[in-house]
Amino acid sequence: MSEVGFLFAGFAVFWAGMFTYLVILQVRIRNLQNQVDMLENTIENHDEI
Amino acid sequence: MILNNIYELRWKVLPPAAGVAMIGMAALALITAPTEVVEGDVQRLLYVHLPSALASYFAFSVTAVCSVLFLLKRDFKWDSAAQGAAIVGLIFTLLTLMTGSLWGKPIWGVYWQWDPRITTTLILFLIFSAYLIARKSTSLDSDKSARFCSIYAIIGFLDIPLIHMSVRWWRTLHPQPIIAKLNPALPDEMLLVTLVSVLAVILVAAWFITLGIETELLSQRLLKLKAIGKANISEKS
Repeated sequence: MSEVGFLFAGFAVFWAGMFTYLVILQVRIRNLQNQVDMLENTIENHDEI
Repeated sequence: MILNNIYELRWKVLPPAAGVAMIGMAALALITAPTEVVEGDVQRLLYVHLPSALASYFAFSVTAVCSVLFLLKRDFKWDSAAQGAAIVGLIFTLLTLMTGSLWGKPIWGVYWQWDPRITTTLILFLIFSAYLIARKSTSLDSDKSARFCSIYAIIGFLDIPLIHMSVRWWRTLHPQPIIAKLNPALPDEMLLVTLVSVLAVILVAAWFITLGIETELLSQRLLKLKAIGKANISEKS
């Protein structure tokens, strides 16, 4: 691989790593928030009954 | 209070600031920065390798500070914050090792060397991987586990000064410090690009840390809600 190839690979790894982690974080936060909202609603409804 | 203010900025200020800084960093690193005479274009990897390393130090510093605060206050939000920052630290340590490896191959002829700085960085990665494995394998509300992991994180943090001093204390392939001294050895143009890159990646790390903390806090909240739900069910029955 040429010098420019290694440069490209380094930048690609860096950007891909950050984007992948950001996407994983967003998905995890959304899933957790949905579960929290669902449980809060269930507990509220349960208390009302 | 300051932490709360930073936390509130996680969706409004940090993403656009980090995005603009990262685009600026990429343009400066790939277009504006002069080509190094000896190493050629591959030296531009400095602008992602060094900031990644500094971002990992920043994230692990947050972990250490939050661990101290947990031990002092016994508030689980600090334990969650420590975990959220540790994951970000691990990501940036991995990026440091990978970009360094891709820089090392054309310059040293190998992807990996048991050089003191690389080895101590790998140890840092293993220390905090073990921290997260230990913390995640026990209950989130276990005070004993949180205490042990906090103490472990504080001790593990001591590897960072060791990494920093490794180039001074041992024979190493890494250069002596070129920026952290009164007369930086880098030419002004390269120094400017390096500083912009460090700022950009630290902003991204700060954003990731706030999101990581949010994730851990939500996990804590979910755990509490599940406990309340179980208590309600057993009361009714």
